[in-house]
Amino acid sequence: MEQDSNHYDAIVIGAGNAGLTAATALQRGGAKTLLLERHNIPGGCATSFVRGEFEFEVALHQLSGLGTEDNPFIMRKIFNDLGVMDKVEFVQEHELYRMAVKDEFDITLPASWNGIRDVLIENFPQEETGIKAFLKLCEQVTMESFMGLPMARKMNSEEMLNKNCKNYVAHGLRDAKTVLDEHFESEHIKTLLAAYWCYIGMPPKDVNFCDLAVMLYAYGVFKPWHIKGGSQALSSALLESFLEAGGELRFNCAVDTIKTDQSGAKPKVTSVVTEFDEEIFAGQVISNASTVVTFADLLDTDIMPPGISKDFKSRDLGTSAFCLYLGMDKTPEQLGIKNASTFLSTTMDEELMHDTMKTMNPPVATMLTCYNVDDPSFAPPGKSQISLLCLQYGSVWEDVPVEKYAETKYAFAENLLDQAEEFFPGFRDSIEEVEVGTPLTMMRYLNTPGGAIYGFQQNPEDGPLHRERYDQVEGLHIAGSWQGMGGFQPTYMVGHSTANAIVKKIKKQRAQQASQVEAGVENA
Amino acid sequence: MPNSNELLNNIVGFVEGVARKEAREQVGTDFSEQKGKTTADIAKLHPKRLHLTVSEIFQDTPSTKTFRLVNNDSVNKGQILPPFQAGQYINLYTTINGVDTARPYAISSCPTQREYYDLTVKLVDGGFVTNYLLGEEVEVGQTFSATSPMGTFYHNPLFHGDDLVFLAGGSGGAPARSMIESQMSKNGNRGDKVNFHLVYGNSYENDVIFQDTFRELADKYDNFQLSEVISRPTDGYEGLKGHLNKELLTELLDGDVTKKTFYICGPTPFNDFCVGQLKALGVEDKRMRIECNGPPKKPSCLENWPEVVSEQDEITVTVKGRGQFVAKAGEPLLNSLERNGYTVENACRSGECSLCRVKILEGEVFNPPESLLRKSDKDFGWVHSCVAFPTTDIEILY
Repeated sequence: MEQDSNHYDAIVIGAGNAGLTAATALQRGGAKTLLLERHNIPGGCATSFVRGEFEFEVALHQLSGLGTEDNPFIMRKIFNDLGVMDKVEFVQEHELYRMAVKDEFDITLPASWNGIRDVLIENFPQEETGIKAFLKLCEQVTMESFMGLPMARKMNSEEMLNKNCKNYVAHGLRDAKTVLDEHFESEHIKTLLAAYWCYIGMPPKDVNFCDLAVMLYAYGVFKPWHIKGGSQALSSALLESFLEAGGELRFNCAVDTIKTDQSGAKPKVTSVVTEFDEEIFAGQVISNASTVVTFADLLDTDIMPPGISKDFKSRDLGTSAFCLYLGMDKTPEQLGIKNASTFLSTTMDEELMHDTMKTMNPPVATMLTCYNVDDPSFAPPGKSQISLLCLQYGSVWEDVPVEKYAETKYAFAENLLDQAEEFFPGFRDSIEEVEVGTPLTMMRYLNTPGGAIYGFQQNPEDGPLHRERYDQVEGLHIAGSWQGMGGFQPTYMVGHSTANAIVKKIKKQRAQQASQVEAGVENA
Repeated sequence: MPNSNELLNNIVGFVEGVARKEAREQVGTDFSEQKGKTTADIAKLHPKRLHLTVSEIFQDTPSTKTFRLVNNDSVNKGQILPPFQAGQYINLYTTINGVDTARPYAISSCPTQREYYDLTVKLVDGGFVTNYLLGEEVEVGQTFSATSPMGTFYHNPLFHGDDLVFLAGGSGGAPARSMIESQMSKNGNRGDKVNFHLVYGNSYENDVIFQDTFRELADKYDNFQLSEVISRPTDGYEGLKGHLNKELLTELLDGDVTKKTFYICGPTPFNDFCVGQLKALGVEDKRMRIECNGPPKKPSCLENWPEVVSEQDEITVTVKGRGQFVAKAGEPLLNSLERNGYTVENACRSGECSLCRVKILEGEVFNPPESLLRKSDKDFGWVHSCVAFPTTDIEILY
């Protein structure tokens, strides 16, 4: 059956993590797929850029969900499905993180579940009971959220819920701060164990305990990982797999409009129109753009579909980030950096940290990732690659007059360098290259409102239990951080699962068509 | 999943979450006011294309003209242009004899005013685009499209310090003027006064771009110093003569040269020579900022060029699904693509920005050191076509 060259089964808008996994799964699943990307490179956040001798990792700090070869976890299966396991090389990290709070504590947690327990007990012997109970609870809630809960929901069974998910039922949707308070006396251990809140962007009082528990357990048991060549290598590998399967690709090609047939009760996707005014047809469109851009800018309906409008009204834009990409002319040892991920702060008050993110005040918490600690190939010999960042909402940058932008950016960057200098004396003198990414930089490259990096704000009521998948436009699917959680694993997973559902649907349609044809033949 | 809400109500905290969500629905906005905002916000700093008109042309020297360009966008007509950091360039698109092509030019005007950008263009021997721009055809009123300002050759206060030296050769005077005027305009602001020394090498004393401007600046500011050097002086020339070698630099520059930051911009041989001299003086890599300068003119002279291939060899280039043409091995792939009607996004045309990435499906290309490829691009066969030279028949995808 020969089709027009501008007809596809599916069009994927955006080659970010979810767009890439979706496109690859679609094409490998037999759907004729076109991938459109406004930039010249795949990856979205999962990308890199070259300055001098350095190739800078833009966004990946610790890849979760992979597991080891002996103890594999879900991402290993997904990457296998997508045909990229033999195209990339994963590097295991050996520490979860170091957290250093000025004048308070400085502790490094190993990437081992028992190791975490031992280090905690060693540093907080009086909290031993709480430590054991807390870690046990993290494990139970994590396992229940992956196994018992989906099953109970599928069967809609209260009995299964109460039997197989009792810890989740009791604690999963409580806020992380309360659960920490119940287990511990010392503010030090609470702050230390809550450090991963920055991967969600909300302070512990506004994070569901299950989200913190899953992160701690998943990184502790299944380890944090990196990729040789950075997250760009995985993005490029996914693209390669997509092309090998026969997928078609256009870079430097933004989509301006998603067109719909509005004659029925529900609008139905018919085509997309590119920035070059070319109309391309497909019954299935997967948008890896933000939901705000997808529904407010791209969709051709005069008004936003009612369900979308209702959902959006209870949403807020999530955080962006201010990031320094640093090439240093010293080794990690010479700089005094012993582990890949370090959280630095001058306070233990996470609400102050979060409030500061809404201002141009010097950040009170920063994160420093030194990529070549676990993988020397990440920097030229004798040198280091570092990302030094703080979370920050984009709105404060939207008010900066354009002519003041550069000087504001450098002045704010000085704050981060000051903080690094306090913990690592001599830091500033070792800079060989530095590029500054502000929330407006994130906006430019991600095309997200406010330069949001994790999608909508992740309040406790914004998780998957409280939010349905967007299905207000037939054939239009949202894949990316705006559909669920932000971060690498969630976006890879949502792209993959979205595509698999579409593949199933397309196969069913084809089977129906085939049987109709057969029936037609018989009737004739 | 509304049908299972009843089930989820059993989970401690779920009901409260639903209530919070419903409360937010009452007060929130549906983001419809955001329509177009992200695009507009991005375009304030980085519009994808500028639409420019030549408002004035200045004949600077026998070999050089400055084109003053103003905004001609239907929306932004007459409005100020996007901000830039002194030293950055725009990539100017043009059509010559039916060939769509482009070249990057440093902005020579100071970023403190954005009514116009000045592009200062020096004739390149046999240069396809400079010969067109400097010929009779380009007049006031002509329109061009261009990228917004880009590039990484500028003063970065985070680590460049305040003791700055610009080693300029010929057309390198263009970004030098922008950087020096920009730095001098900051004098007195927040006490960040820099010392700036321009060492300006030119071949002929009658062909020095912005000579008067630089001399006036040197008279006006005690923190700006100018040294003019002529390599092919006429008899009787009394100024500094020769090349910017280490002896001359040692003589000209005050204080510890290893503590200064150097900006180097000129023809590629000039840049390479300056870097060698500075290294010999003990200047570290991090203290030398070198502006990129187009593809190598003689790629076959570079290391790793395959011995059996001559620059004149004819190569068949197949663009997957679109067609094929014959090109010379010694010509950058981007140029031959353009000459054959294939449009590829591009900007720096020097191997840095990566906008012109294409994938090599079959065959081999030569990537010179200018090509700053990502590791995974090397692994999966993507190259920067502006500095990629096909050395066998190739098939590409873009």
